[in-house]
Amino acid sequence: MTFRITRRAALGAGLAAALPLPAIAQGAVAKPDRIVVNASGGAMANLFRRTYNAEFEKRHGIRVVDTSPVDFGKLRAMVESGNVEWTVTELGGQDFVRAKQMNLLEPLDLSIIDLSRYPAAVRDSHIFPSSVYSTVMAFRTDVFPNGTHPKGWAEFWDVRRFPGPRSLRNHPVDNLEFALLADGVAMDKIYPIDMDRAFAKLDQLRQHVTVWWTTGAQPAQLLVDREVVLASGWNGRFYDIARRGAPVAVEWQGGCAKQNAFGIPRGARHTHWANQFLQVMTTPQLQAVYATELAYPGLHPDTLNFVEESVKPHLPTTPANLEKQFWLGVDWWTDNGQRAQEAWNRWMLRRG
Amino acid sequence: MPAARVATSVRPDPVRARERTLLLLATPALLVIGVLFVWPLLRLLSMSVADGTLVQFEKAALDVLYVTVLWESIEIGLIVTVICLLLAYPVAMWLVQTSRFGFILGMFFLLLPFWTSVLVRTYAWMVLLGRSGVINRALRDLGWIDAPLPLLHNRLGVLIGIVHVMLPYMVIPIYAALLRIDPDLRRAAEGLGAPAWRAFARITLPLSLPGVFAGCALVFVITLGFFITPALLGGGRVMMISMLIEQQVREFLDWNFAAALATVLLVVTLAVYAMLGRLTGGAGHAGR
Repeated sequence: MTFRITRRAALGAGLAAALPLPAIAQGAVAKPDRIVVNASGGAMANLFRRTYNAEFEKRHGIRVVDTSPVDFGKLRAMVESGNVEWTVTELGGQDFVRAKQMNLLEPLDLSIIDLSRYPAAVRDSHIFPSSVYSTVMAFRTDVFPNGTHPKGWAEFWDVRRFPGPRSLRNHPVDNLEFALLADGVAMDKIYPIDMDRAFAKLDQLRQHVTVWWTTGAQPAQLLVDREVVLASGWNGRFYDIARRGAPVAVEWQGGCAKQNAFGIPRGARHTHWANQFLQVMTTPQLQAVYATELAYPGLHPDTLNFVEESVKPHLPTTPANLEKQFWLGVDWWTDNGQRAQEAWNRWMLRRG
Repeated sequence: MPAARVATSVRPDPVRARERTLLLLATPALLVIGVLFVWPLLRLLSMSVADGTLVQFEKAALDVLYVTVLWESIEIGLIVTVICLLLAYPVAMWLVQTSRFGFILGMFFLLLPFWTSVLVRTYAWMVLLGRSGVINRALRDLGWIDAPLPLLHNRLGVLIGIVHVMLPYMVIPIYAALLRIDPDLRRAAEGLGAPAWRAFARITLPLSLPGVFAGCALVFVITLGFFITPALLGGGRVMMISMLIEQQVREFLDWNFAAALATVLLVVTLAVYAMLGRLTGGAGHAGR
């Protein structure tokens, strides 16, 4: 018991030192024996261990414990109960703006995290831009060989020229955008989304979508099993199965690029080390390893320089790919997500 | 129990001491239930009226979406319960009558699925039931069908998946109830000239009803809360109320509305439970 109290007191002192007085803080911050990094788990956790976690342990001599999964509800519960287990956490999907709005995040210490070379659009006071992923169209190369596959969502919708069952995500994000693109809306005119128009367009495709997928592994598996011939999905999943020999390829045209984010839960212990961990995550060489394995590149501009040429066509941030895609309108989804989801549920529930 | 009562009147002290010991032994479990179940449940209920109004319940009750999905969940729960009952009863009867080896073998296959995660089993069904899955390919090779049967990504797929998971929960209570029936009762009935079906209908079935009730209640209640199986095997076309609650909790952090939906689900579950109890309880009395 006494041990606990003294440790807490020491930590409290460490925090107090870290926040207002950065000049002293550098030398004075107490080192915990471990920090906890919460992220998606699975293949990603293995890579984190090999890259960022290993580098952080080497640089600072503090052990990194990884946990998963990413859970927005749990983040809120932790912050509100004042019992924050995570030092740093990934923030899923479109949650990061709301996490900031709901005051669930500590501000980043940008004197520790150097984002000066990052694109201005992703620099933020609370949200760390970790990597980029994209929801793209994938197809079976044996069904659509030699470039005969649909190039863009208008052709994805064209079931006469491109017959066969399709799969889309059971979620309004991406699909409303894809429907508008299929209906002839320009990429820079998608937002604000005209939901009636989007759902009307989705009506046309409805009976040809045999599976509305729920988990990220599903669309890749559906293509491998020949359950569908066309699917939307996260680019890294298709990269993974294509690398292992599946006859599956990706069309970048109309892909929806998104930023993956990390943050420091409000009330987290060791915020100094949380910031130090995020600084390790800005290392372009490590981001390149991560990008090569998962096809989810970080946003440091030098990252692509450390990636093999053969990998570049598979990354969403390669300039040739990037110009075919649009960025998800996170602000629109933050304001309209719940309304859109309920409209989506209602639409899914209709028979036929 | 009657033996214990008799003992009470003669020598009250050791029995009361025994009761006290038992209560003491049960205290940790009661505390766990109290702290980890009753308290959070109360918090949940209070969350649903946290705005000081019933506005969350109004939304749940008036919105066609939630009413439809709740009804669909109950429907799936009832269908699964009936299918499980029809499949499980013969299995339980066989388990009671079979040899020791048969019993061990049966129990092994019955309990084996408990060591495999529901997620893995759900993916296994996708391999079996898919368009080019094992079943459809076999049927096509046999020349019985031309186009693949729609076994997956619809309600049928969901029912198959859930029944598979829930079957042991039905077999085991029924088996336990059948085991308690004195075999002499049946032999007596048959000795008095009752045909096998009548002996079953008048003796075995009524006496096994407590097990049937327990199994049905377990299966129905657990099915109502099913989440991952309908999400994966339904291909998005089957929606259950637990999926909508999860959406509110994790995606929109609208915990007050999620609490209201959960409360509605709880009340509906208790109501169906009570109905089941009255149905089988009444029949049980009539049989005695």
